[in-house]
Amino acid sequence: MKFQVYRFNPETDAKPYLQEFDVIVERGMMLRDALMEIKRQDESFAFRHSCGEGVCGSDGVNVNGSNRLACITPLSEYQGDLVIRPFPGRPVIRDLVVDMTQFYAHYKEVNPWLMRKDALPEQEILQSPEERDRLDGLYECILCGCCSTSCPSFWWNPSKFRGPQALLTAWRFLADSRDQATDQRLDDLEGPYKLYRCHTIMNCVQACPKGLNPTKAIGHIRSLMLKNSI
Amino acid sequence: MSRTASGFRAWILQRISAAWLGLFVLATLGYFLLSPPATFEQWRAFVAHPVVGTLILVTVAVVLLHAWVGIRDVLIDYVPPLALRLTLLSLFGLGFVACGLWALQVILLASGLA
Repeated sequence: MKFQVYRFNPETDAKPYLQEFDVIVERGMMLRDALMEIKRQDESFAFRHSCGEGVCGSDGVNVNGSNRLACITPLSEYQGDLVIRPFPGRPVIRDLVVDMTQFYAHYKEVNPWLMRKDALPEQEILQSPEERDRLDGLYECILCGCCSTSCPSFWWNPSKFRGPQALLTAWRFLADSRDQATDQRLDDLEGPYKLYRCHTIMNCVQACPKGLNPTKAIGHIRSLMLKNSI
Repeated sequence: MSRTASGFRAWILQRISAAWLGLFVLATLGYFLLSPPATFEQWRAFVAHPVVGTLILVTVAVVLLHAWVGIRDVLIDYVPPLALRLTLLSLFGLGFVACGLWALQVILLASGLA
């Protein structure tokens, strides 16, 4: 199988280029395995990866125009040449390695932890099974960045729009029965940029390797804002 | 638009105005299918009716509000330079106000009030 891989080393290259690699594909092989084979062929090739089983969220790349998590993307899904690029819209550090600082900064801005006004109890704060169920489809996010870096609104306003990942997380804590900072969280998302740049394009839903739905979460935040304002 | 009207309020305004416009289009289509005005005089009498004239003016205002939120969204996304964005926003704003005044003039003329 032929791989066209994006190469760019800012220390030696004036501009990026695509380099072709030939990898013998075996049954059950994932894209990450192919990238590791390419790394064996050319040691100067750089890409991030770690757990290899869709948990750490390190090896998100752009495959034939779609953001995918390399370790859980079977090569059997593809026919013909593959074009592997780094996440779109992010500054390239080298080859497929991009700078995700801004993405993490947005995540931090939504206060991704439980905020309590009451004193913390001695024991854990209990939830009913229904309250716990509300967190399904939200807590599973692994911060791979496939969603936010596939979002046109995030490309257009990367410093101001929180992006689908951070907004999914914002809803994860708004939906949590143990959290007591609903008003603060909603106030923090006010203004034309942080939440309302989402135009329900839904690239995020298509890109999420965990099958999560940030667009739906954003809709829930908007509904909650409406509910709290009337 | 004030800072507080810039996010949530703009979004909800667009939703409510869209619902109004949808209903208005359906109602108007229904009316025209059942009893379409045939002559200029009938058209004029239709528009001059106080209820119809008021509904048209409210709808023009709603269209302009809807368009304002929409164009503001487009400019925020596609025109990052602040000076250019502000200029375009002002031009569209003036254009929308002019459209509103023109519609008001049309209705007043038809009603014989101007």
